Amino acid sequence: MTVVQTVLVFVGIPAGIIALLFLAVYGRSLVGQPNRYRPGRPWTFAPSWYVPHPEAVVRPGGGAGSTTAVGGASGEW
Amino acid sequence: MSGELTMRTTAELQYGPRGQEAGEGPFTPAQLARLDEALTLSSRETGLMFSVYVGEFVATARAHAEALFEKLDDSSVLLAVSPGQRILHIVTGPESAKRLPNRACALAALAMRASFTNGDLVGGLTTGLRMLADSAGSH
Repeated sequence: MTVVQTVLVFVGIPAGIIALLFLAVYGRSLVGQPNRYRPGRPWTFAPSWYVPHPEAVVRPGGGAGSTTAVGGASGEW
Repeated sequence: MSGELTMRTTAELQYGPRGQEAGEGPFTPAQLARLDEALTLSSRETGLMFSVYVGEFVATARAHAEALFEKLDDSSVLLAVSPGQRILHIVTGPESAKRLPNRACALAALAMRASFTNGDLVGGLTTGLRMLADSAGSH
C-alpha cells in the first residue's frame, strides 16, 4: 500500500464513520428546530391566540360575547 | 402589535391553530397538532372553552391577560403565556371559576412553569390543559 492508501484506509474510513454517527445523532436538531424556545432568549414572534375547533365546544350563551375575569393563577419562570 | 390583536373579535379566532402559518409562527406543524388536540379534547371533555394566548403582554401582564379574556365568554378559560417576559397567567370567568377553583389553576400553573423552565412550551401548555381539564371534570 502506498502512503495515500494507508491514510485513506486508517484515517478516511474512521472519520467517515464518525461523521455518519454524528449526523445520525445531531443532524435533525441542526436543521429541524429553527424556532425552538430557550428561556431567557427574546421572543420575536407575533402574538397568536389558539382556540379549539368550534364544533368541539358547546356554547350555552351562543358564543362570542364579553365577560369579566373572576379567578385564575399566575406564575413566572 | 398588541393594538392589532385587540382589534380582533372572537369570531375571527374560531379556527384553532393554523397549520398553514406554521412556517412563520413559533411552533412546528407537529407542535401545532399537539396543541390543537389538547385544546379540542379538553374543551370537548369539560364543556369549557379553553384558549391559549402566546405573545407579549403590554403594561401590567395581569391586566392585559384579563383584557384578552373579556373578549371570550363566561365559560372560557384563558392560558396566556409570554415566553419573552417569562410570565404565565391563567384566567377563569364567572362560569368556569365554579368548576376551576384558583387552587386548581395554581397547580396547573406550577406544572406549566416546570416545563417552560426546560424550554418546552408546547409540553407545558398541553400539560396545563390536561390538568385543568382533569380538575374541571367532565361536562
